[in-house]
Amino acid sequence: MINPHPGLPEFDYFKPASLVEASQFLASHVNQARPMMGGTDIFVRMRDGVWTDKYLVDVKNLDGMNEILFDPSNGLKIGASVNMNRVIASSEVNRNYPVLAEAASKVASYQLRTRATIVGNICNASPAGDTTGICMLLGGVLNVHGVDGFRQVSLDNFFLGPGKTVLQAGDIVTSIQFPLPPPGLAGRYIKLGRNNSSDLAIVGISVVGFPEKSTQSGYRFKLALASVAPVPLVVGNLESILTQKSINDETLTEAAQAAMDACNPIDDVRASARYRKLMVRNLSLRALKEVWEAIKQ
Amino acid sequence: MATGTIKAKIPSPIGESKPRIDAQIKATGAATYADDIQFGVGLLHARIKRSPHPYARIKSIDVTKAKSLPGVKVVVTGEDFPGYIGLYLRDRHIFCRDYVRYVGDPVAGVAAVSEEVAEKAVELIDVEYEILEPVLDPEFGTSSNAPLIHPNLADYEVASFIFPKPGTNISNHFKIRKGDVESTWGKCAAIVERRYRVPHIQHVPIEPHVAIAKLEDDGKLTLWGSSQSPFAQRNLIAQCLGFSQSDIRVIAPYVGGGFGSKAGVSMESLAVVIALKVKGRPVKLLLTREEEFYTTFVRQGLVAYFKMGCDQNGKLLAMENTFYWDGGAYTEYGVNMTRAAGYSSSGPYEVPNVKTDSYCVYTNHPVTGPMRGFGMPELHAGLEQCIDELAREKGIDPVEFRRINCLKTGSILVTGNQMHPTGLPQCLEKVAEAIAWEKKAPPSAPNRRRGKGIAMMWKAPAMPPNAGSSAWVELTEDGRVNVGVGGQDLGQGAFTVSAQMAAAALGVPFEWVRVATPVDTRYSPYEWQTVASRLTWSMGNAIVNAASDARRQILDLVAEAWEENAENLDIINGVVVSYLSEREIPLKNMVIYGLPKPNDQGWMGGPIVGRGNFMPKYVTGLDSETGQGARAVVHYTTGVQAVEVEVDLDTGKVYVIRGVAAFDVGKAINPEMVKAQMEGGFVQGLSSALFESLQLKGGVVQNPSFVDYRIATSADVPSEIQTIIVEVPQDDGPWGARGIGEHAMVPTIPAIANAIYDAVGIRLEGPPFTSEKVFLGMLDAGVVK
Amino acid sequence: MAFHKINLKINGVLEQVDVASNMTLLGMIREKLALTGTKNGCSAGECGACTVLMNGEPVNSCMVLAVECEGADIVTIEGLAHDGQLDPVQRAIIDSGGVQCGFCTPGILISARALLDRTPQPSDLEISEALVGNLCRCTGYLRIVDSIREASRM
Repeated sequence: MINPHPGLPEFDYFKPASLVEASQFLASHVNQARPMMGGTDIFVRMRDGVWTDKYLVDVKNLDGMNEILFDPSNGLKIGASVNMNRVIASSEVNRNYPVLAEAASKVASYQLRTRATIVGNICNASPAGDTTGICMLLGGVLNVHGVDGFRQVSLDNFFLGPGKTVLQAGDIVTSIQFPLPPPGLAGRYIKLGRNNSSDLAIVGISVVGFPEKSTQSGYRFKLALASVAPVPLVVGNLESILTQKSINDETLTEAAQAAMDACNPIDDVRASARYRKLMVRNLSLRALKEVWEAIKQ
Repeated sequence: MATGTIKAKIPSPIGESKPRIDAQIKATGAATYADDIQFGVGLLHARIKRSPHPYARIKSIDVTKAKSLPGVKVVVTGEDFPGYIGLYLRDRHIFCRDYVRYVGDPVAGVAAVSEEVAEKAVELIDVEYEILEPVLDPEFGTSSNAPLIHPNLADYEVASFIFPKPGTNISNHFKIRKGDVESTWGKCAAIVERRYRVPHIQHVPIEPHVAIAKLEDDGKLTLWGSSQSPFAQRNLIAQCLGFSQSDIRVIAPYVGGGFGSKAGVSMESLAVVIALKVKGRPVKLLLTREEEFYTTFVRQGLVAYFKMGCDQNGKLLAMENTFYWDGGAYTEYGVNMTRAAGYSSSGPYEVPNVKTDSYCVYTNHPVTGPMRGFGMPELHAGLEQCIDELAREKGIDPVEFRRINCLKTGSILVTGNQMHPTGLPQCLEKVAEAIAWEKKAPPSAPNRRRGKGIAMMWKAPAMPPNAGSSAWVELTEDGRVNVGVGGQDLGQGAFTVSAQMAAAALGVPFEWVRVATPVDTRYSPYEWQTVASRLTWSMGNAIVNAASDARRQILDLVAEAWEENAENLDIINGVVVSYLSEREIPLKNMVIYGLPKPNDQGWMGGPIVGRGNFMPKYVTGLDSETGQGARAVVHYTTGVQAVEVEVDLDTGKVYVIRGVAAFDVGKAINPEMVKAQMEGGFVQGLSSALFESLQLKGGVVQNPSFVDYRIATSADVPSEIQTIIVEVPQDDGPWGARGIGEHAMVPTIPAIANAIYDAVGIRLEGPPFTSEKVFLGMLDAGVVK
Repeated sequence: MAFHKINLKINGVLEQVDVASNMTLLGMIREKLALTGTKNGCSAGECGACTVLMNGEPVNSCMVLAVECEGADIVTIEGLAHDGQLDPVQRAIIDSGGVQCGFCTPGILISARALLDRTPQPSDLEISEALVGNLCRCTGYLRIVDSIREASRM
C-alpha cells in the first residue's frame, strides 16, 4: 500500500554559515544529516518515510554556489545553487552549451525548475535524471568540498547505482564545470515521457557530436541514456562505431542498434523493458540524425 | 400588448452567456472551500488506519499505544458501529468489522490535536490479519471457484430495482431480453464479436476529499465537507447511525471538482463516527492525494463482450452484450452504473433484437462509485469501436453506418419505449462536416500517420424514479432576489444558470439575483444530489416553479391594490407594469412591506416567498427479466465527437490535433458555459483515453500519485476543440433544457480509438492508448519494425 | 525539533512568524497567516495548486520550507490585485470562462502573472509550457490559455 504521510516528519533545519561548517556538521552527523538544495527530491522521500534524517543542512548560497561563470578560455562553471530556470535563460549557456539548456528545459515544470538545480539533479543520481547525460557528455567535473577541503570529481566515475554516488559524509558539491566544447559541437536531448510535458523520462537520449579530424570518420559522437540502467549509461561502443566508419544512414542505424543492445532496462510502473529498448533504438537514431545534420560539413 | 417595447429593452438572460457569478471570488482566492474554514484551536485532526491487504479477516486490533500518545483524544474502530451504509445497496460498514475487503479499507480512526500526532498514533495501532485469497478480476469473480467477498449479500437492504445474487459475488444482474437474438444471427450479413477491457480510473478532483464533523452539545450532528450531495449524505448517515435526518446538518461550501467522487457518502462517514466520540469538538479528515486515488471512489473497471450484426444494407439487427463490471469491495453505488449501462447497452442506436447481461461483481479492488458518465464512457469505449468495425466489415463508411442506425425521434429503444425528439442526427451531420470527414490531410512529418475517428453517445440521468428538487425565492427591500437551492456548483455553473432561470421566470435583471450559498441543509431546500447532469433540468424546473410562485404572489398583490386583473400585469426589469393602465411600481419595498389598502384601511401582502419543487412523475420500472418498460428514464442527452490524430511511428505517441463535439442540450441556458463543459469533458475524455489507469497488482494501486498517474496538462490538449450546440427542446425541461455535464466525456475514448485505427490500422483491447501500447501494437501487427 | 522566528514579506507586508523546521511555506501561508487562497492539492510538487511567487519566481509552496523564506518576498493570490484593481490575468480569466471549480485558479494566476512578467508577449506554445505544472481537471485549459493571451494585450 502506498500511503505517505500527509506532512513532513520532524527534523531540525540547520543553515551553516560556511562550507567548512557545513562539511564538518555533515561529517559529524553521519546518517543523521543530509545536505539540502531545492529539496524537491528530499521532501518526497521524507513523506514516504524512506529518508528519516534528523537534520536537513541547507547548503544553498554558500561561497560562490550561486553564480554562472563563463570564461572563453576555460569553459563554464555553474554554481550548485543555480536553479534550472536560470540555466535555461542564461545567454552564456545558450550561446556555448545550448544542449544543456535544452536538457534542463525538459525537467518537470517551471515551478519545480525554480527550485531544481543541475548539481542537485546529479547528486540525486536518479537513473531518470534529465541533465546528467548531457553533463557527462560535455565532460562535466564536480567541484566538491569535504572535510579535507576541495577536490574535483569527474562525472565518469561519479554514479554507483540508483541514488548512490561516490560522495562521502561531509561532501558538498559547490559547482559543476565544463571545459570549452570542441568547435562545431552540436547536441540533442530527446526525452520520452508518457504525456507531452512535465513527466519523468521513460527513456532519455543525450547525444553530442563534433568534427574531429584525427578520427577515420572525421567526427566523434557520444551518447548517454537515461532510465535504462541503474546509472546514466554512456554507450562506449557507439562512440567507436562512429569514429571508425563513415557517417551515413547505415552507420547511424548501426549505432542506434548498438545503443539498444547496450542497455538493459527494467519493467516498471512507467514502461516495459521491451518498449524502452525499442525507444532507445528509435530515438537514438532520431537524435543522431539531427546532430549529424547540424555538424556535417 | 401595449408595453411590448418595455419588454424588449433587456434580452431574457436565457440563452445569454452571462458571466459566472462565482468567477471573481474564485479568481481572487476569496472563495471558501471546506479546508479553508477556520475552526479555531478546538479543531481536532483525524487520520485513518487502513488495511494493507486486499482481503483479510481482522483477528485483533490493539489501540492501547495509540490511545496513550499525548495529544490523542480518541481512537475509534468498527466495534462501536455495526450499521450498514449505502445508497442503492447497504453493503458496507463505516469502519471495518471482521473483514477488510480492499487495500485502504478503514480499520481504525484517530482524532488528535494535530495531523502529525494523529499520524503517529495511526502507526502505533497494531492490527493482526488472517490473509485471505482475494478476487482480482470480475470475470473470475463470477465463477464458482471465486471466494465470496460478501457472504451475507442476502441480508443487505437493497433498492427495488437492483438484483443481487446471494451466494455469489454478483451484486447486481441487469438483463435486457428484447426480440430474439439467437435466431437473428443467421440473418446478419456481417457480424463482429469483440472483447474490450476498460481499466479503473479515478476522478482526480484537484481538491482532495475533506470532511469536518462535530457532535453538538444537544446531540445533533454538523458535517462540513466538499460535497456534491449534502442531502443524500444527511440521509445515508442518518439511516446508518440511527439519527433522525433533521438532526444532521450538512454544510457544503465551494467544491474543487467532483466528477462524481463527492457524491453519495465515502470518507465523510469516517469523520462523523470519530466526531461522535469527542462531543463538542470539530474533527477534520483531509485526505492525502495518495488516499484520494484509491480510498474514496474510483470508476468501475469493465470487461465487455460485444457481438453485433447488421443486414446487407448496414441496418443493425442484433446485439449481444455481456458486461463484467469490476465493482470493487463495496458496490453500494456501483450497482446502479451496472443497471444504467444495461439499459443503455444498445448505444444510441435502434436495434430490434438485444440480449444484455450486465453484472456488477464484487472484487477486492478499490470501491467504485459514480464517475462522469456513470458507466457510459466505459460502455461506449468498446461499443463505438465495434460499430466502426462492423461498418468497415460491411464496407460502409462509419459516418454513413451511424446515419443509418442512429436514434431518431420515435425510434424504438432497447428498453422498448420510444425516443423523444432528439437532435442526434443533426449532431452527427455537424460533426462530420466540422471534422471534414471525407478529407484526408497529409501527416505533418514522414514518420507520422494521420487519422480521423468519430463516435456517438447517449445517456439518461441515472437516478431513482422519484429523485426530487426544490427551491425557494425571496426578495429583499431593495428588490433584489435570493434563490435557495440544494444543488451544488462543482464548477459546471449550476449557481449561475440558477440565477438566470430565476431572473427570467420572475422578470428581474440577472444581476439582481443571488443564490443562497453555501448549501446548508438547515436552510437550503431539498435536492436529491448534484449528479446525473440533472440540475439544470430538475432543479431548474423547481426554481422556475418557485420564481413563478413568487411572481404570482406579487402580481396578485398589485392586482388587488390597483383593482386590476392580474392577467394584465407583468414584471419587467424588476418593475410591475400594467399593460392595461400602463401604471408601474418597482418591486422594492412592496416585496417586504406589502401595499397599503385604499383609504388607509390597513395593509395587503407581506414578505414574498416563492416556493417550488419538481419531481418526475412518469418514470416506470423495468421488467426484471427483460429490461423492458414504458419509461425507464426521464430523457436522454445525445451527442457526437470526432477527432483528428497523428500517430508517431517511432514512438507510438498519439497526438490529438483537433477535436469536434456536438451535443443536443435542448436549450443552452448559458451557451458559453455549455461549451466550456464540452471542452472540459473532451479533455478529461482525452486524458482517460491516452494516459489514465489505476495500475492494480495484487489489489494494490501501484501509481496513486501524480508522478505515475498522468492526467492531461496544458501541453497535451489540441489547439482547437470546436464545440457545437444543437437544440431540440426537452418537453419538460426549463425552456427545453437538458443536461450536458457528463455527456461531454463519454465518446472520447472510442473517437480516439477509431482515429488511431484510421491512422495506423490497429486496435487495442482497451484504453489507455499509451505510446507504449500503441507502438507495441503496431510492432506486433507489422506496421512498424 | 527546532523552531525558527522568521521575517519575511507577504503580499507587500512585513511579517514575523514562528515556524517549526518541518513546516512548509504552504502550511505557514494557510495555517499561520490564514491566507487560504493558496491550495493544497498533492503535497508533492506536482499539481501546482499551491503555486506562489517567491522573490518574483513561481514555486510550489508545498515543496519549500517556511524557514527557507527568511528575508523572502512572497506573493500569494491575495496579493495579485493592486489597490483593489484586479490584475489583468484575473480580469481575463473571469471574462474568458477559464474558471470552473476554481481550485486550480489561484495557482494558475500566479504562474500566469510570472509568465507575463518575464515574457510580456508569449506565444501560445510558451503559455502552454508555462502551465504544465498547474493541473486543471475542469476546463481543458483552452480558455485559460486564451485568457493569458488576452491579458498580455491589456
